[in-house]
Amino acid sequence: MKPEADQILGLSAFQLLGTLAPLLPNAYAQGTASLISFMMMLSAQEYERAADIRAKENADMRALFARAAPKLRDAELRSKLQEAAHEAESSLEISALNAANYKLRRLLIALHEHADREGDRAASKDVWALLKRLADRRFLKVPGQ
Amino acid sequence: MSDLSDALAAYLRDKLGAPDLQVTSLARIPGGASRETYRFRARYAKDGKSSERGLILRRDPPASLIETERATEFRAYKAFHKLGLPVPEPVALEMEGGVLERPFFIMEEIENCQAANILLPDPYGAHRQKIGEQFWRVLGEIARANPDEIGLGDLGGAREDCAEHELAHWERVILEDEREPQPIARAAIRWLKRNLPPRAQKISLVHGDYRTGNFLFDGEGNIRAILDWEMAHLGDPLEDLGWALDPLWSHGDPARPAGTLPREEALRIWEDASGLRIDSATLYWWEIFASLKGLAIWISAAREYAEGRNTEPVNAFSGWYCTAFHNKILADRLSEAA
Repeated sequence: MKPEADQILGLSAFQLLGTLAPLLPNAYAQGTASLISFMMMLSAQEYERAADIRAKENADMRALFARAAPKLRDAELRSKLQEAAHEAESSLEISALNAANYKLRRLLIALHEHADREGDRAASKDVWALLKRLADRRFLKVPGQ
Repeated sequence: MSDLSDALAAYLRDKLGAPDLQVTSLARIPGGASRETYRFRARYAKDGKSSERGLILRRDPPASLIETERATEFRAYKAFHKLGLPVPEPVALEMEGGVLERPFFIMEEIENCQAANILLPDPYGAHRQKIGEQFWRVLGEIARANPDEIGLGDLGGAREDCAEHELAHWERVILEDEREPQPIARAAIRWLKRNLPPRAQKISLVHGDYRTGNFLFDGEGNIRAILDWEMAHLGDPLEDLGWALDPLWSHGDPARPAGTLPREEALRIWEDASGLRIDSATLYWWEIFASLKGLAIWISAAREYAEGRNTEPVNAFSGWYCTAFHNKILADRLSEAA
């Protein structure tokens, strides 16, 4: 079994932090190398979950749009949300998932602004519940803690 | 490095009137993404006496994380050093930066000290209580100072509508620098606009980045230097308090802001030192604002890094880890309030 990218990143980070950084000549170089190794550990974490996070976010936003759209009086926004709710991922590459994610997030902002403008607290609460799930999923754990 | 060392020595010979001045041990040290920071020693004779002192050079990088005003930072150091707060003595400021290619300033080095790493769970150990008492008291003293009396009354910021002014500034930063849609930041901005706090009870000099990691302490638990005044401005002193209380700086324990004292004790010390009273709803607004301001800074950092203008890894860290952190703080707090 070959090493996966997350294992390579993780083990390289430990080597950089534990073996190489102390050999560097000054505090700036050591500090920079330590931070790079920390970012490599976060990247290892992200390798495993990045596609899953984006696919779930996109599915959650589409589901919310499907529920919220029929209740909207704004015909243009309703139509955009309904259209987005029926789309599916074209690819599981991160760049494609991101492109879809950004488009959906723009619509989510528009939906939330609309709810706030209309004073629709129930709709706003639904969006906040979704935003909390998005933020929880994207949160990064400090390695080792 | 020897070119920089030689240029620095030539500059200081002229500046300090010390023709034999020598610069030694010049080395870059960690100092954030907004300035390049170097430590060095200057040895010289003046008026028949020889002396040697450790100094710090802070030079603008080719691109800066946030648009900060170096003259503001230098003047803030000068004013609070004179007032007796733990602040390094500023030595020289060059706005044009001809001799070192970019604008820079030089200040006293505070030796044998350290700054906390925000990722460590217990950075102050046995000195937590002592450091905490000083940390919140000094912040109160900054709030107590009258900006007009210490020569900082003309700094940027606002004397009226401080909350609106700061919110407008950081909203603009987010709108200009976001590389992807930010639904939590946008929703937080709307919440902040709908819930503006009352007028500030006092106009103070706001440090702008007063937090764990931005001060130096020694092995006895004495705070020796409050650093990084580059975002200093006039405004509501609760702005600094909200920022210092932010969970990002709590070392994993939000009940002990800044990794120091229980929240209520910290606030009591601040009130005693500042002579001001805390309205909890107003402070809550400034705490939400602090997380939004954090997001704005991290969004800018992400852009600098992603577009290759400043590839210091701290920008990647801020643009990723800190963005995710503050999105979660805002979503947790504002989803409850919704």
